[in-house]
Amino acid sequence: MPRVLTVVYSAFRIAMLHWVADPQWVIPNIIAPFIFTAVALTLFQGSSGPFGLYAVLGGGMMGMWGNTLYSSGFAIEFEKWQGTLEEVIATPSQLMHVITGRSVSNALFGLVNMVAVLVIAALGFRIPLGIANPLLFSISLLLTLLSVSSLGLIFASAFVLSRSAQTLTNGLEIPLYIISGSMFPVALLPFWIHPAAYVLGPTWGIDAIRLATSQEYASQTFWAGMSWNTAIILDLTIMLVITVGYVALAAALFKMVETRSRINGTLVEA
Amino acid sequence: MMPETKARSTSASDKAIVAEHLCKVFSVTKGTLRRTKSQVVAVKDVSFEVGYGELFGLVGPNGAGKTTTIKMLTTMLIPTSGKATVLGYDVQKNVTKVREKIGIVLGGERGLYTRVNAIDNLRYFADLYGVPASVRDKRIKELLEFMGLWDRARDRVETYSKGMKQRLHLARGLINDPELIFMDEPTIGLDPEIARDTRDMIQQLVEKGKTVLLTTHYMFEADELCKRVAIIRKGEIAALDTPSGLKKYVRDASVVEVEGFGITDKEVAKFKETRDVLSVSADLGENKQVLRIQTPKGSEIISAVQEILKNSRIYDIKIKEPTLEDAYLRLVTT
Repeated sequence: MPRVLTVVYSAFRIAMLHWVADPQWVIPNIIAPFIFTAVALTLFQGSSGPFGLYAVLGGGMMGMWGNTLYSSGFAIEFEKWQGTLEEVIATPSQLMHVITGRSVSNALFGLVNMVAVLVIAALGFRIPLGIANPLLFSISLLLTLLSVSSLGLIFASAFVLSRSAQTLTNGLEIPLYIISGSMFPVALLPFWIHPAAYVLGPTWGIDAIRLATSQEYASQTFWAGMSWNTAIILDLTIMLVITVGYVALAAALFKMVETRSRINGTLVEA
Repeated sequence: MMPETKARSTSASDKAIVAEHLCKVFSVTKGTLRRTKSQVVAVKDVSFEVGYGELFGLVGPNGAGKTTTIKMLTTMLIPTSGKATVLGYDVQKNVTKVREKIGIVLGGERGLYTRVNAIDNLRYFADLYGVPASVRDKRIKELLEFMGLWDRARDRVETYSKGMKQRLHLARGLINDPELIFMDEPTIGLDPEIARDTRDMIQQLVEKGKTVLLTTHYMFEADELCKRVAIIRKGEIAALDTPSGLKKYVRDASVVEVEGFGITDKEVAKFKETRDVLSVSADLGENKQVLRIQTPKGSEIISAVQEILKNSRIYDIKIKEPTLEDAYLRLVTT
């Protein structure tokens, strides 16, 4: 396995071992999206259209967002708490590769939330969850997971640059949840918000996930009028391009953060 | 048995560490609305060399610049000025090379993933150091056996005692089979028996050809282990010599050691103002108190000692030869 992948996998593995050993993180990450979904389903009860689907997938996406923003943004802080940051920095591996592994594990744990929400909606609220194209649904979900993880990398580096990053992260959770179209179609949001929505990779991912779930949704997307398959492929392509941009930005930020921290000692105790 | 280690790589330099006029200045910003910037000099001018296979000690009071010096040599901080090479590599230009070849052992209970077991901790760091998978598992087993942790290797680290955690720190510092190991206060907070074991392990590493740079607050430890010791004070090297060479700094003095009870800080302060007293160190424990008074006058000051301590109980007064600690105290307090 190439060296970079070994490092990413090893960081992913140790993060998963921690998740398993520390169940207190699981509880808020499952309960919160469940409550959100339940509230939304209750509000939309009796409405026509794919509102149930919106609420269910939105609740699941909220779990993924929440995990990424909180946990990935907090990845460096976690190492500081454990007292392991200096040992990690002292290795020849790049900090970004380590945090990438953690970020992917966090987003993957968010997937658990998604599955939990889907199960709760199907069993508890009797929402029909027939997935039109399970293969495209799975691909869209996994690629969205990667996109969310790459956004987590940017947040992780911001934590080192500014101590107020936590406030920023907490403040951004709900706006990002709304802007990305997790709960409402982006088309329903004011026009001036649209640019912000469309530069977020997950916005396109969520669109692809919904399209793969139900053809009924096709009329409400950015690609209304296009064929169903083309719309999904376009969504995923745009998301991948944006994700590559996120990774490039994160790499530049990490390089800057590491150099700055070696000058002003923000990552190590001197 | 100490695990097998690879032979030392050849490098351009015949010294494991060369530090030349290292200096580190931090900028500190204060205030919210009216932000003021100031500068803190952590290391002013530090130069020294460490030979291959040497156990070199760096001692000094808190805030003297020991840790900052180590952080610069291990590439975690960029020096403000000066230069350093580690195993022949420039610490600013060859960051990855330096990191691949050195090990770091920090003291204290933190610095380990406590929710996972020792094997997973070591496996993670082995991967981060790029240890090939074919070597990794064998080395982890050897290291844990060497440290006496193999029987508990699959238990979570949070269930380990302080001593076990410190041994795991040592194992982690050796996971990449480094040529040079930086140890920052590796025996801090350990009970005497475990500290003894840790010192034995450090000694064994040097016997195996490893180079060690050790910082410690315990002078007897530096005296026992180190071939040479640098005393750092206010960001500068105050003295650098063998332990016996450093003791010559206090050749002009003897030590009056007073064992007693009820000695107060005020009385200790009085000694510091007394003529012919070069330095005083006090260990004011609850049951037994010990004062070490450095003086060129030897037994001649005993009457002055009795006068100052007239309200305290004196159990014993001895005249002793100065130790490395006495030399250290003289150098850092004068």
